[in-house]
Order: sequence, then C-alpha cells, then structure tokens
Amino acid sequence: MSKTILEVKQLSKHFRRQRSVFSVFNRRSDTIPAVDKVSFYLRENETMGLVGESGCGKTTVGRTILRLTRPTSGNIIFDGRDITHLSDQELRPLRKDMQIIFQDLDAALNPKMRVQDILNEAISVYGRVSDAEAEVKLRMLLDQVNLKNSKLSSYPSELSGGEKRRVGIARVLAVGAKMIVADEPTSALDVSIQAQVVNLLRDLQKQLGLSYLFISHDLQVVELMSHKVAVMYLGRIVEMGLTERIAGSARHPYTFILWSALVEKQNHEAIQSVKMDRRAAWGVFDFERPASGCRFAPRCPVYERRGRPAECTDPANEPQLRDVGEGHQVACHFPLGS
Amino acid sequence: MSAAMTQPLLKIDNLRTYFYARSKQSFVRAVDGVSLEVGQRETVGVVGESGSGKSITAMSVMGLIGAGPGVIGGSIHYASHRVKKNLLEGLENFIDIETENGRVMKVRKNESGWQHASERLMSDLRGKEIAMIFQNPRASLNPYITVGEQITEAVRLHTACKSAKEARERALYWLEQVKMDSPRLRFNAYPSAMSGGMCQRVMIAMALSSEPSLLIADEPTTGLDATIQSKIIELLEELKQDTGISTLLISHDIGVISRLSDRVAVMYGGAVVEYGSAQSVLDINAAIKHPYTAALLASVPSEQKIHEKANLQTIEGDVLDTINVPPGCRFHARCNQVTPEIREKCASHHPELIEVAPGHQMRCWRFVS
Amino acid sequence: MQNVKTYSQTNIEVGQFSQLPLRQKYAIADLLYVAYGLLIVALVLVSYILGMFDLLPHDPQQIHMDMLLAPPASNGYLLGTDFMGRDILSRLIMGIQAYFLPGLLAISIALTGGVVLGILAGYCDRKTETMITYFTNLVDSFPRLVLILLVIAAFKPDIYYIMVVMGITGVPAVATAIANKIRYLAHKNFIEAAVALGLRTRVIIFKHILWYNCRALLIIQATLGMGEAILLETSLSYLGFGVQEPMPSWGNMVQSGANYFLQGNFWPSTAPALAILFTILGFNLLGDGLNNILEDRRGR
Repeated sequence: MSKTILEVKQLSKHFRRQRSVFSVFNRRSDTIPAVDKVSFYLRENETMGLVGESGCGKTTVGRTILRLTRPTSGNIIFDGRDITHLSDQELRPLRKDMQIIFQDLDAALNPKMRVQDILNEAISVYGRVSDAEAEVKLRMLLDQVNLKNSKLSSYPSELSGGEKRRVGIARVLAVGAKMIVADEPTSALDVSIQAQVVNLLRDLQKQLGLSYLFISHDLQVVELMSHKVAVMYLGRIVEMGLTERIAGSARHPYTFILWSALVEKQNHEAIQSVKMDRRAAWGVFDFERPASGCRFAPRCPVYERRGRPAECTDPANEPQLRDVGEGHQVACHFPLGS
Repeated sequence: MSAAMTQPLLKIDNLRTYFYARSKQSFVRAVDGVSLEVGQRETVGVVGESGSGKSITAMSVMGLIGAGPGVIGGSIHYASHRVKKNLLEGLENFIDIETENGRVMKVRKNESGWQHASERLMSDLRGKEIAMIFQNPRASLNPYITVGEQITEAVRLHTACKSAKEARERALYWLEQVKMDSPRLRFNAYPSAMSGGMCQRVMIAMALSSEPSLLIADEPTTGLDATIQSKIIELLEELKQDTGISTLLISHDIGVISRLSDRVAVMYGGAVVEYGSAQSVLDINAAIKHPYTAALLASVPSEQKIHEKANLQTIEGDVLDTINVPPGCRFHARCNQVTPEIREKCASHHPELIEVAPGHQMRCWRFVS
Repeated sequence: MQNVKTYSQTNIEVGQFSQLPLRQKYAIADLLYVAYGLLIVALVLVSYILGMFDLLPHDPQQIHMDMLLAPPASNGYLLGTDFMGRDILSRLIMGIQAYFLPGLLAISIALTGGVVLGILAGYCDRKTETMITYFTNLVDSFPRLVLILLVIAAFKPDIYYIMVVMGITGVPAVATAIANKIRYLAHKNFIEAAVALGLRTRVIIFKHILWYNCRALLIIQATLGMGEAILLETSLSYLGFGVQEPMPSWGNMVQSGANYFLQGNFWPSTAPALAILFTILGFNLLGDGLNNILEDRRGR
C-alpha cells in the first residue's frame, strides 16, 4: 500500500472581489469562492487528474496546495506534515519535494536567462554543488527530458513550445521533486508535441515514482494519464473516482456533459438519451450570482427534466460528496443511473 | 447536372507567401507552393500544426498579408455565380524573384503598386463574397461598440440594405440565425459582457450577414471551452445545411475537422502533404496514408490507447521551422517510414503532389512508382 | 511614388539569434550611439583623472596677459585662451571636476533610493505600495529648481548640497519605473516559479528582478541622470550660483565669455558650450542606445 503523499482537507480559497460600478445594482457577497471546501488525497506514484472548464478553480487548487497563495481555510498535509500555516522560512526546505510545471510557457522562464543558467540555478538551490557535479547533473537532466545539448546556450524565446515545456520539466526534476502539480501541461502545444510531453511525464513517473496532480481541460489526455479523476465545477468537486468509472459511467450530469462534449464522440444517441437541453451548456458561469443550493442547477438538464425539484435549490441542502461504491464519490441529489 | 464539371468555388494553385526575418536576414517560407480547392457547397478542412502555414494560406486568400514580401507567387481562382476572377491577377508584375538551386533567395517588390493592385482586386470581394472568422473572437470585436451595431455595420457595408432600420432588422435576423439566446437583449450588449462562445456566434453572424459564397474559418473553436466548442460546431453544421455555403475550415484539432469537413487537406511545413475526402484521409486504418498524417492520427489519445494505457506514438523531433527548410522532403527528418530505396530521393528532392487514388492526392516518394 | 523593397537571403543555413555577430543583431544606429556615448564617458573619466592629478597642459588659473583671446591652435594653446589669457583646454578639463563627483552623488542617491522604494512598492502589499506612491508623488511635485534655489539661499551654494537635492528629487522616477517593472513581472510566472523552486527572497530580488530585468532600466536612469546633473551644474554656474570664479566650470566659462561674444570673440563662450552639448548628448545617446540593445532585442 503506497504512502499518501498529499492530503487536502476542506481547502478553501476566497478572493476578495474588486468593486465595480455595477455592484450597486446587485447585492453580492464580498468574496469570490474560487475554491470551496475541496478534499482529496494523492498517493506516491499516482496521478490524479483535475478537470473542469475555465474558471472552475482547478489552477487555484494547484497553486494553493503549493502555498503559492495563502489558503483561506482548510488543511494541506504534505508528506505527513501540515503545511497550511507554516511560515515562508519553514516552508522553503519543503518546497524541494513539491513543484509545479506552469501552464504559461513564456512566463515561467526568465526570458533573459539562458537554458543552462535556468537549470544550473535549479540544481544549486538546495545545496552547493561543485562545477563538475553540476555539469554531470545538467547532462543527465537533458537526457531525461530529451533536450539536445545545443539548446543549453539558447534563450527561452528561441525555443519551441515543446522545448520550453521540457525545460520547465527539467527544472522541476533538478530540485528533486516527489510531487508535481502539472498545470495544463499539454495546452498550447501541437498534437504531436503533446504526445511527446505526455509520454515523457509517464516515463518519468515510472522511473522516479513521482506523483502528479494533473490539471487539464483536455479530457482524453487526463484519461490516459490519470489513475483517478476529480471533476470540479465552480470551485467544488462534484465527482471523484477512478478514471475508468468517471469516464465510462459518470454519475454527475456535469461530468456526463463534459465527456460527451468531446468532439470526437459521434455518439448522438447517448446525448439524446439524457435529453440534454440544448441551451444547457453554454455561457460563462456567473460567480456573481451563485445559485443557492446546488451550483450546477441553473445549467442542469436533470434538474429541468425532473421538474425543478426543490432540493436542488435549497440553500441549506447543498449536495455533498457521497460515496457510491469503490471510492467513487458524487455530489448530486439525483445522480445519473439512480 | 451539366456535362462539364462545375468549377470549384476556390482554386488555390501553387501559392507562395514568404515573410522576412530581419534579425536573421532570411526568408520565412510560410506557404511554399500550396494547391487546394474548395468546391460548391463543400467544406474543406485544413489540418496542420503550428508552422504548417494553414492560417497564412487563409490570410493570403483574403489578401490580409501586409508584412514582408508577402504573397509572391501562384494564383487563386475564385468562381461564384456572381464573380469570377483570379485574386492574384497581374500581381506578379510587381514582383521580381531570383532563385538559386530552385530556392528563392531574393525578392524585389514594388510595395505601393502591389498594394493598389491587390486592393482593386479584393475590395469588392472581401466581406461580401468571402467572409472570414478568426480565432479568439473577443479580440476581433470592437470592445467599445455594441454587438448589434457591429453586425449592422457589416450589413450596411456589404449588402444592398439602404436604411438603418432595415440593416438593424437584418442584423437581428442573423443574430437569431446563430442561435443566440435573447437576441434582442444581446443586440445592445458589449462584447465584454459576453462569453467566448457568444462572441464567436456574433462573428459568425457578421460573416454570414452578407450572404457570402465562401466562409473561411481560422481556428474558430480553439480557445473555447469544450462544451462550447461542440455547440459552435453544431451551429456551423446547421448553417452549412441551411445556407449551402462553402467553408474553408482551418484547425489543428482533428476532431473538429472530422466532424465538419467533406474533404481534408493536411499541411506540413508550408505545403499540402495529403488531400482527399475526409473518410480516406482521416481513417487511421487506411492503407494509403501519408507518414505525417498517420503519425498525427496516432498521436491523438484514442479509445484504444486509453484502454491499454499505452504510450502515445510520437513524431521525433520538432515541428519544421520554416526558416531552415531542408532541400528534400520537409518531413524527411521526422519520417518513420523511409525505406532504403527512397532515402536518397527523400533527402534531396521535394516530392510533388500527385494523385494516388481518385480524388486523393499525396506528396510522398513512397507512393511514386 | 515607387516604393520598391528588396529582400535577400545570403545563407542557406540560418542559425539562432543569440549566436549571430553583433552587427547583425542590433541596429547600426544603436551601436553607433553606444560607441559615441562610451567615447564621451571615457573622455570624461580620463579628464577627471587628469584634473585630479593636475596633469594639465597648462595651469588653468595662470593668466597670460600677452596671449589674451588667442584663437585655437596658437602657440601650444590647443583650444586658445580666454579673455584673461588662460588656456581654455585646461580650464575645460578642470571644469569636469565641478560636476563629476557631484553628479555621481546625485545618481547614486536617486538609484539607491529608487531601488529600495521601488522594490518595496512592487513587492509588498497594497498598503505599503499606496504609501510609497503618495510619498513619491509628493517628492515629484516639488519644483526642482525652486528647491535648489531654496537650498542655496538657506545654506551655501555648495554643489554637493545641490546634488543631494537632485538625487532626492530623482528618486520618484526610478522608483516608479522599478515598481512598474515589478508589477509587470509579477504577472509573468517566473517570479512565482522562482518562489516555487524555493529560492530565497533576497536572491529573487537581486538576481531575477534587479540584475536580469532592471539592469537596463538602471543603466539608463544613471546615464540620463548624469546628463541632467551636468546640465544642472552648468546652468547654476552660468547663473552664478555654482562654482565661482576663478575656479573653472563650463557654466561660468560660458557666462564670462558672453561679454566678449558680441565683440566677435566667439571662442571663449562657444568652446565650453560645445563641450556641454557634446557631453550631455553623449550620455543621453548612451542611455538610448543601451536601452534599445538591452531591452527589446533579445531573440526573434
């Protein structure tokens, strides 16, 4: 039974809203709950996928876990140690083991530093390393991520998207991470390069026993890479479980919509069977008007179909994650297939 | 049906669009000899990765290339029931090319002459006969003018609508056609109040309001959320049925291309490498397959791969940077289907696009007998 | 109205930007500006040292009654003599003493103060940032010349006091520039990436922010500041508030030569004026050229 490397309990991150001119017209709460009472755990050598559309809070979860922003409430327990309230000083040595690969390729690398500078810096963050040792480590890193030696003296602006991603991965490996938050690692990359990055991440996991929190909106890649998946909507996890179960037998209506929106699936019949309201899945969600009760209700086809049951909009009865067998959890009053 | 084959709506022949990187003192050969056709009432999908030249091809057709030498060769024949012309007619008079070993090394261009001539050719077509929608719809809309105003403006510019009232009615009609919810309400909204998907619908409304014969869609679904992407695709499908418009659809997303296209062109490194019906090109199990297309299809996580949790097939190396273009086949360095017999040819000679089956063209030495 | 452009490529193989030779990488204008600017800086430095050790062709204070108002290149007086027969070249060299160290003082104060405040404003929380912004706006709104005249009136017309004032009034510009730069960088993840990597805050500030990203900014502020300091000092001397006769300063040389200008003796006034012009131009062009070279031109 492998060890639990990360445990997140009821994690919340609220951003204080900036007042706008129009706030006079609506009565609103003062904070935006980007992440709301999220709980999950991650084991060694395991990949957990975190999916959802833009704005659902998955990136914020990733950043909060690494204490890049201060959590509003809840606990983060990394490698047995509660890091929620540690000071920056105390946190720094622990950062060695928990790292992040950023989504924005250009922004995550200092454009004025050459690749070798970036990697050398990472190598020597946690201890003095002699020049010879650093040289060896550098070669090894390049080898691990499949980067040519000739790229060492280049600036990030001279690298292609895939190469920049690989430098980001190399940097994370250089400090010796055990757990990596991969924030949209395949976005903005060409399909063939995505495949390279995905393969690389999988191979590294096998070689080094890494754990990944794989944040992505690309469901197919998530399916391929993850052992288990959590689906987020408006800051809450609405469904969580083993990948096969989430992808194959989704119980939450939102999960179902997400997966069937995969353009490849020409499965019109499946969509018809749930009688999706055409209008159900467009539009940006409006944090400004959180529905009381279940947050998905305004867009939920099941809610419509069942004649708008009162439980779904009862503010005192927000759906909680309930176990429906084998670690599969759903937060819904009327999960599919029930 | 008349005995003669109906002329294709758009026929691009050997198009070449180059840019110039001053910092490196060299040409960027973005589009290097592209030939494609879009027939009447048909959707042609152009698939390719970054650097393949697909977006630049679309921009060249619309005459929107301003930088560098720009379009330096080829012809673009447009034949709708209203207009028939070569969009690059006479432009070669303003361009003087010097080649070395078949490779363009020097271009002299009369900028002002070229611009004037091009404007004269394109001005009555752009927006009216050929409409274009872009990636990132929010960036293509003026944030200070209401959505309704912008569509109305397009209507007044490109159709015979005379009065403002009539134009607004048309604009509203089109807003309804693109399945915008509460069109009357949205008419007076600003782009910043709308989501990406809604902005894209507005763009489509603007494009179609002049009832063009050809719609060029450059990555229309990229950057939108997955659920919205499928809605936009459904919309395009329906509009295709209803209006009979031809579309040149450009995307790097194979799923999108497969749902909407009748024919598909695969581009790599500035040239079309495979061109045929959607079934034959995108069928992963087909016998006749260009190595690049095959590798591209294999690198997308499919049902089977996911089931087996196997590694994806990758293409070695990086996408071609169109500055350093190799002498032979552009895909040679990354190709995993080179046989000893053709290795020499692949490395030194650029293959031509030839027909390997009825309606199916390929650019590969493997298929040249 | 023919507008013909030629594009040509000479090499078949094209390498990466960072490996190209200097002339190809940067615009020729920028390289020339920098070359000229460096030349001026070198001249100023050399002159300062010469002046410090008194290695002048002639004694700048030495009056030669027999060689009044001699034109340039007469008898070993390379740039001629002024109305008191004093060698102009030596006086010019000596004049650098008047602004060199004081100028350095001014820019040191401006840069140090600016960096400290800029980093505090950019890196710390909103409240600190707001306070610093108020403070810098306050300092900025003081009219510099009036302040200097006040200082001169209250204390003595000591160039060092004046330069301290100039330094302090120069802090807002630097602080704002740095704070803006930091705010811009904060959007880019690599500061966050550095934090995530586990780097110490000190390292992040000095290495990533200052050295890599603010280097150009600081150099430019330094060069422009020096140019301004020169202008300030020479203006004050011209007006009679700075260095007094018989000590030479370019400003008071222009002033004293002015009386003889209309008589047809242009040179005693013009020589120092040209010196002022070319020197300040040198510093400004240096800043401008360095800005273009260091700031934007990395990569494609």
